[in-house]
Amino acid sequence: MSQSASFRQIPIRELSGGELLALSKQMKLSLSEEDMLTVQGIYKQWDREPSDVELEVIAQTWSEHCKHRIFGAQIEHERDGVMETVDGLFRTFVRKVSEAIFAAKPGFVLSAFHDNAGFITLDENLAVCLKAETHNHPSAIEPYAGANTGLGGVIRDILGAGQGAKPIGSLDVFCFGYPDTDPAEIKGDDVIHPRGILRGVVRGVRDYGNRMGIPTVAGAIQFDPAYLYNPLVYCGTAGVIPRWAIDKRVQAGHLVVAVGGRTGRDGLKGATFSSAALDDTSHVEDQQAVQIGNPIEEKKVADFILAARDARLIEFVTDCGAGGFSSAAGEMLSECGGTIYLERAPLKEEGLVSWEIFISESQERMVLAVREESLPELRRLAAMFETELCVLGEADGSGVLKVTHHGTEVCRLDNSVLHEAPRQHRRSRWTTPNFDPEPDLSGLDIASTLKGMLGDFAICSREPIIREYDHEVQGNTFLKPLAGAKGDAPQDGAVIRIDGSEQLLAIGLSILPEWGKTDPEGMGLAVVDECFRQLVSVGSNPDRIALLDNFCMGNPNDERELGALVETCRGMATAATAYAAPFVSGKDSFYNYFEVDGQSISIPVTLLLSGMGIVEDAAHVTGSTIRRPDSVLVLIGHSSRDLGGSVLARRLGQGNLRVPRPDLQRNLALYRVLYQAIRDGLVLSAHDVSEGGLAVAVAEMSFGEKADVKIDSPLDAVDLFNEAPGQIVLEVPTAKQEEVLTRFHDLPVRVIGRTHSGSGRLRIGSAVDEPISVLKAIWKAPLGAHY
Amino acid sequence: MARPKALLFKFPGTNCDAETDRAMRLAGFETDVRPIAVVDAASLREYQLLVFSGGFSYGDYVMAGRLAQLEIERRLGSAIRDFHHAGGHLLGICNGFQILSKIGILPPASLIENVSGRFVCRWVPLHRVAKDSPFLSALPDDFELPVAHAEGRLVTPAPEDAETYLHNGLAALTYGENFNGSSAAIAGLQDPSGRAFGLMPHPERFIDRRQHYDRDWIAAEHGWGHYLFQSIYERLAASA
Repeated sequence: MSQSASFRQIPIRELSGGELLALSKQMKLSLSEEDMLTVQGIYKQWDREPSDVELEVIAQTWSEHCKHRIFGAQIEHERDGVMETVDGLFRTFVRKVSEAIFAAKPGFVLSAFHDNAGFITLDENLAVCLKAETHNHPSAIEPYAGANTGLGGVIRDILGAGQGAKPIGSLDVFCFGYPDTDPAEIKGDDVIHPRGILRGVVRGVRDYGNRMGIPTVAGAIQFDPAYLYNPLVYCGTAGVIPRWAIDKRVQAGHLVVAVGGRTGRDGLKGATFSSAALDDTSHVEDQQAVQIGNPIEEKKVADFILAARDARLIEFVTDCGAGGFSSAAGEMLSECGGTIYLERAPLKEEGLVSWEIFISESQERMVLAVREESLPELRRLAAMFETELCVLGEADGSGVLKVTHHGTEVCRLDNSVLHEAPRQHRRSRWTTPNFDPEPDLSGLDIASTLKGMLGDFAICSREPIIREYDHEVQGNTFLKPLAGAKGDAPQDGAVIRIDGSEQLLAIGLSILPEWGKTDPEGMGLAVVDECFRQLVSVGSNPDRIALLDNFCMGNPNDERELGALVETCRGMATAATAYAAPFVSGKDSFYNYFEVDGQSISIPVTLLLSGMGIVEDAAHVTGSTIRRPDSVLVLIGHSSRDLGGSVLARRLGQGNLRVPRPDLQRNLALYRVLYQAIRDGLVLSAHDVSEGGLAVAVAEMSFGEKADVKIDSPLDAVDLFNEAPGQIVLEVPTAKQEEVLTRFHDLPVRVIGRTHSGSGRLRIGSAVDEPISVLKAIWKAPLGAHY
Repeated sequence: MARPKALLFKFPGTNCDAETDRAMRLAGFETDVRPIAVVDAASLREYQLLVFSGGFSYGDYVMAGRLAQLEIERRLGSAIRDFHHAGGHLLGICNGFQILSKIGILPPASLIENVSGRFVCRWVPLHRVAKDSPFLSALPDDFELPVAHAEGRLVTPAPEDAETYLHNGLAALTYGENFNGSSAAIAGLQDPSGRAFGLMPHPERFIDRRQHYDRDWIAAEHGWGHYLFQSIYERLAASA
């Protein structure tokens, strides 16, 4: 048993740039030569050598994963030959845009960007938050454990938001290769087949979410060969908190307390690992960077945190995520300063050296700042919920982070230095492609195209996966992911009742990577529109919607790839501004590329745009499934002749068509009128037109099997299959038809068909006349065979 | 008249206690939710009903409900069985049913992995067999509730026991659609006295009509689950 500190001094002051870079690689610090030179400069100034603990702490703190340095970089961007300087993607396209909206909507956003999740107002007493994270690299290597801890981590973000928020719903979004990929097509040893990834990831999410008792209510899956080597796993969780508990503060004299799981060697260097690319040795060498999840441990911690919060025993709380104690304690003590005593941390195994204890990312740990007099009551609660608590250190007001191990100081860092990583300077470019002309669709067989689409991996039912997630625990899932009269039709979003409030939380999300391949700016516009449109369609007030941006991309050192990111951000910011929907949180993941046979295979820039909306009354909750056999179907919004990014284009092998651009002002006007119509009880159901276009939207609405559906207009293939943003199909009582049309009178609106009682058929002009049960069976079948 | 009092046990991993508590209070109960670490045997006397809520006690590692049973015996000895013998009522929902089965208060049966081998979250039609059960008296013979479990397939020590339970009324509740492969489609069991009842479906998730998947559901004023809690509330209130 080691009873002394175990650390080394690492001489760096005499090293050349090349030697510093070699050291960074050897220690797996993921720091660039420029970063290492900056570190060297600091230690020259301090006139001493760093300890390994200090270098590890700096590497974790400055890692892309923790510091988002690419989003902070100054970028010289060239678009179609025109140069511009982007003064930080985050600053320009997220913070500035959002702060303008915060100012225009006082009292709506209560906290953004600085905490583990951003909060918006629910009512006079409560606030809600949403946070999403990616866990891509671990899921590529160990799908079950990677996804398991991905969800576990984001749940802890919610527990560590404010003085502790209660997790009330989760979302999960995956991007995988096709589940029927021919194994012979996969290059590189040990790359896991997409089907293995799918199964492992779903089970990982299932086993964490279900055991935690947090309903998994929303999600999406994109299948694209581009994700064969770099699957993407996004996990998100929403929470609720009393408004008094949002602010948190560490003061000199507070004790730093760790609760939950013990610290071990599992999960060493996750933050730096996820800030580098994968290659075909990753599967062997990086295993120790994937952690082991224990949801019951986390459930006990959650029960403890919420009880401690309600007893007003918590001054500050944050989770141990990437970087472990070093980033949690670093965050907590960053302004105040203080001391951490490593020997006090309960360990899973003996023999950990000092830096291992400090940066281990062992799961299910939270760090709190508490008043000393609260300690007995905290210990009582910890015993009650059977979780372990230790006093790890104290805050002292010195502004310096000190770490000791058995009496020896192993780290002494001035936090003002720690938090200032050198700013990166980058170059990027985007060239608008010459799009192909519109394809001739005159010979397209509408009925077989519709059936093909319903059975397409892009559109088919996610039911086999959804049923494995407990989406009803907590008893508050008012709009479920599958609903309608048969309980198995798709919905635009999820709506969660909040205990203690009359108002509800809606969750929506959009991810359209196909659009970004040719028009990243168009993708940025479209994902904001789609998420916003979903939230309004389920009953949210369009003035009370907040957004999250979660980016994944390949190699930021590739100017074209980085250029696509810049354009995506621009589109997203334009739409968010137009809709006055601010960002309150976001995350990014880079280096999602794979090196094999001397080739580098990158994912397309992928933006998950998720959002929360406030539904002001349970009566406003609106589903996407037809409810009456005597309604009118109304389409709002304009279609487009542009088919770029659509499922139809993909099925026709058309990868270079212009993507539709939304008219944002007009769409917002539509959504406002729709919201008022929903409030006034004029809308029975509403479904956004998205993947597969109008024909698929109408088919999905019919899957409650309550009525026959007859569409008289439009009939042309482009009208039926285009995916132009802004379109929504409304089911309206016949008696209210005129009133609804009047309300939308100066906006794009038209009656497209009716529902009636009959033998359960969907008719579209003379082109489609099929039993709804047959279409539904086609839609339900595909995934079950692979999952 | 004092309102009936219920104790809800909470084990590490129990996660349906809050909504079960909410449902029971709505039905009129006075309730306490207590982590197992702070339950003492003597305090059980204060209650007329003990409730084991759903979730994953101790992760359901080993076998669903097994570790909770061992913890109960270690901490409380025979207190739960004594409570039952003394005329107390017990309700086990989902994981709580698994725990009650392991404690040995319900007729011998095990809840094992669903035939599909998967966790299943859905709604299922149910049929009330034990019309005189104090937990089911306010319900109609046919109703539906949500289920969410991976280990809900009821099997009995001898295959023919399941049919026997149906005939002698111990199988209080059956599935209208036997999605998990339970013997004799049994969804819930009661002891011969009727005072202990366990079921896999989640009544606490269907208290309000708006919790139904069909927006237009109008079969009753409240969700069916409310009538289960109302049944036992009325029985206990009447005998108080």
